[in-house]
Amino acid sequence: MKRILATILACTLLVTMLLTGCGQEKNPPAPDKPAQNDPATPDKPVDTAPPATDVADDPSVKTLNLWTFTDEVPKMMDKFKELNPDFSLEIKPTIIATTDGAYQPALDQALAGGGADAPDMYCAESAFVLKYTQGDAYQFAAPYKDLGIDVDKLLKEADIAQYTVDIGTNPDGQLVGLGYQATGGAFIYRRSLAKDTWGTDDPATITGKIGPGWDKFFAAAAELKAKGYGIVSGDGDLWHAVEGASEKGWIVDDKLYIDPSREAFLDYSKSLKDNGWHNDTQDWTDAWFADMKDASNMKVFGFFGPAWLINYVMAGNSGGEKIGEGTYGDWAVCEPPVGFFWGGTWVIGSRSSKVKKSVGDIIEWITLDSSDTGLQYFWANGTLNGPGGTKDTVASGTVMKKSDGKVEFLGNQNMFDVFVPAGQFATGKNKTQYDETINTHWRNQVREYANGNKSRDQAIADFKQLVADNLDVMVD
Amino acid sequence: MSKRKTDVSKYTMKVVIYVVCIFLSILSILPFWIMLMNATRGTFDIQQSAISLIPGNKLMDNFAILAGKTFNPIKGFLNSFIISSGATIATVYFSALTAYALVAYDWRMRKPFFTFIMAVLMIPAQVSGIGFYQFMYRLQWTNSFLPLILPAIAAPATVFFMRQYLLATLSMDIVNSARIDGAGEFYTFNAIILPIAKPAIATQAIFSFVGSWNNLFMPLILLTDNSKYTMPIMVSLLRGDIYKTEYGSIYLGLSLTVLPLFAIYFMLSKYIIAGVALGSIKE
Amino acid sequence: MRRKSVSYAKYGYIFSAPFILAFLIFSLYPIIFTAVIGFTDLKGMGKTDFKFLENPFQNFVTIFKNPSFQVSLSNTAIIWIINFIPQILLALLLTAWFTSTRHKIKGQGLFKVLFYMPNIITAATIAILFNSLFGYPMSPMNDILQKLGLIDAPVNFMLQKWTTRNIISFIQFWQWYGYTMIVLISGVLGINPELFEAAEIDGASRSQTFFYITLPCLRTILLFTLVTSLIGGLNMFDIPRLLNLGGPDNATLTTSVFIYNQAFSGSYLYNRAAAASMIMFVVIAILSALLFYAMRDKYAAKIKKLEKKAQRRTAV
Repeated sequence: MKRILATILACTLLVTMLLTGCGQEKNPPAPDKPAQNDPATPDKPVDTAPPATDVADDPSVKTLNLWTFTDEVPKMMDKFKELNPDFSLEIKPTIIATTDGAYQPALDQALAGGGADAPDMYCAESAFVLKYTQGDAYQFAAPYKDLGIDVDKLLKEADIAQYTVDIGTNPDGQLVGLGYQATGGAFIYRRSLAKDTWGTDDPATITGKIGPGWDKFFAAAAELKAKGYGIVSGDGDLWHAVEGASEKGWIVDDKLYIDPSREAFLDYSKSLKDNGWHNDTQDWTDAWFADMKDASNMKVFGFFGPAWLINYVMAGNSGGEKIGEGTYGDWAVCEPPVGFFWGGTWVIGSRSSKVKKSVGDIIEWITLDSSDTGLQYFWANGTLNGPGGTKDTVASGTVMKKSDGKVEFLGNQNMFDVFVPAGQFATGKNKTQYDETINTHWRNQVREYANGNKSRDQAIADFKQLVADNLDVMVD
Repeated sequence: MSKRKTDVSKYTMKVVIYVVCIFLSILSILPFWIMLMNATRGTFDIQQSAISLIPGNKLMDNFAILAGKTFNPIKGFLNSFIISSGATIATVYFSALTAYALVAYDWRMRKPFFTFIMAVLMIPAQVSGIGFYQFMYRLQWTNSFLPLILPAIAAPATVFFMRQYLLATLSMDIVNSARIDGAGEFYTFNAIILPIAKPAIATQAIFSFVGSWNNLFMPLILLTDNSKYTMPIMVSLLRGDIYKTEYGSIYLGLSLTVLPLFAIYFMLSKYIIAGVALGSIKE
Repeated sequence: MRRKSVSYAKYGYIFSAPFILAFLIFSLYPIIFTAVIGFTDLKGMGKTDFKFLENPFQNFVTIFKNPSFQVSLSNTAIIWIINFIPQILLALLLTAWFTSTRHKIKGQGLFKVLFYMPNIITAATIAILFNSLFGYPMSPMNDILQKLGLIDAPVNFMLQKWTTRNIISFIQFWQWYGYTMIVLISGVLGINPELFEAAEIDGASRSQTFFYITLPCLRTILLFTLVTSLIGGLNMFDIPRLLNLGGPDNATLTTSVFIYNQAFSGSYLYNRAAAASMIMFVVIAILSALLFYAMRDKYAAKIKKLEKKAQRRTAV
């Protein structure tokens, strides 16, 4: 009886608190959000307004809050300050890893909450950038023009890859975010295994062996298998290519859509597994890294990836630091069977920032400055922190033309020869703001099917169910 | 039953007990050992074979990588220490006080109040955490340690433990004799009840300290200023760089995180070894 | 014998005031917020305005019909049962050993200290270690099993539903049996030693003493252990999420991971997450109430009798 009494008491308390709590709550009117999940479609409005000219910092603000998920951009800030000694703001970086799923919730709260600690500038990764440029959180992003950046002129001057512009353009046609990398992908293969199998390691020849198209790729897989090699490490390697090459994204007209090329990934994964064409690893696990240095029983021929994969991941895991050590130097890049892109970081300025001038200066330097002192020139040539650093492809075509992509890891091949044309395949049209979550569910179901735990139809049905269960997406 | 037979069975029993205990001890030590060993090994070696029982020679390299990142063990230790000890003191002191109120006084709302504590103890923390965060944001309490310390005052589980402990051990005679001597109620609690509850307090202090120290999610979203980062936040940042996971330095960071916990734990462990002392309140 | 000092009643309120205050502000308010959200249309990031749904229970209906939620309920129950039963049994056994007056275990202090140690290590570290241990295709566990000839080819443990569930159960078991043991030992040490002496004089065997004196006297502490473990177990989050993201194929999706996914995996379905939380709250409350009922004071009279007997003996 007393327990019931306590419950009633608690309920009354709840209701009272609730009513008072609700009455006091301030509800800022949410800006109208067009229900737009499709990225950059050609028929959307085009922003032709001139850039704002009266952009200034609030002199009472002394700090610039930068939110990001790695220390990459904060480190760029050191160089920026070195180049701009007059820059007086203190840059306060907030780095929250994406690994524990905490970056987005924290950033979202900070953006919605406002105040002195709110971000002035923030970064978004390709897996979730659309949320911040076109999706649920797009209203927080300031158009570059409002930051005083002469977007139209600089875009042409720097020859920025179109897909980073597409992804960074909000539903009103204004550019709000750009990346500094170009993440068009290639196929990165082992020279020695190519010679052993086909008698040559020439990129042009290998391009013709593994592509174009997946049929030729699997034919090559069979040839490699005959020699005792796996063509890739795991099905995840293929996935990034399949995902990046598909015509449409996971969501079309607010409904879940499985692009035929993505559905075919089920069959690719299954045949890789059934034929023993890979080591059945999962990307980003120890076994996957180990395959970069021949640490498993079956040697692996290649990986799919953009330039950053080579330098940031493969070089460090090749078991060597100069040609001849481990697999270092025994790699080359060629065109992939299908064009794709993977990854990248977009930089966004906050609409509520009080230091828009400084934010604009920094963003322009990172994303649109194609001079020899722009970030991208340092980035492409690996000279950001002195010579000998890691080279990468960047978004600006102008910078790429004057940069040298010769890399020891690739046996002194100039990787830009392959990666620059690869950029044309990159598109923002097949991305959605839920990609990270949907991809996880999809790949889990594909793994279930490939391992014979369930039928193909069952895997697709379960995938649809999982998306319906966990996301606000309509499913047939 | 002959005496010899009981001796033999007693002996076998002892062997069984020791075998089980030693096996469990190994299970307890092993992960720490692997973690410490990996802290001295290079990322490359760890990816090659994740588990090794012998140390490597990359300790200094791992230190260098740590130092190059936003990793400041001393700062992190201080922040973690302030938060954890603040939260622990708040938890044990106020839980003991509340438990005392529940045990020693006859007030009308006592039973309903206790039932209610038990009821709300059961709400999953994940989502009320969201309400909590938004509330703290409105109070402008982000980047403050207060939201990580003050809520510890209300620790239903600890109150429950303390209540059961006091129910079992507290004799009201002591309180009454203190009252006869003219002691105030608050003084009685501080001077008499707290010492009686010391073993229970120490035990709960360990649990509370460990929980607070290892707490990651709340500090992570509340503390965005890197001078306020706790140890676990710093370690999670090390893992954040997905392009190149420096396993060696992550393990080193994890080891550094756990060392202060060890110190606190072993300091208080005599209460775990001794268990709850008896006799102080009999008669 | 106690609770008779009516004039002191106000101190009950005064001494609970800090707790109540902190509780109202830091727990109750956010919880109410959560409960209310369960009846609204609050979803999507950055939104702070919401209105109540026409059918206030719409979210609850949606959640009940959600197959992932149903799976998560049974997973949570399975994982809790297979970790808690061995955990409480081992803890009781160790308690019996360490509190036994008959064989003094040398080094038992060290053992006690060591057994609690797995609880100190963070979930993230444990997840990394166990993922390495059971990795695929290369891992220590695969090596060992292959060398022993138990398997021919490497096994992808994390793709096997029951293996993954058992790994998580084992981790929970291993992290918490020491805690449970410490709590139980302190419970046993709180038992009036005269009871044991009396039992010994009456010629009770060790197991008789354990079942007729120790266990009944441990009732409150056992209840505490059961309730906290039930709550902790049903809110199990870190390990299932960090080890394998609730996989494979939702086999280790616990309700807390489900709730987290509703709120944070993309769509910010705060309202559904809140409704699911409330459902869990009701489930836990019912189970706890059952526990309280099952463990109610049916032994009290018996213990009192024993106590009197003991007193008489010491008096004589």
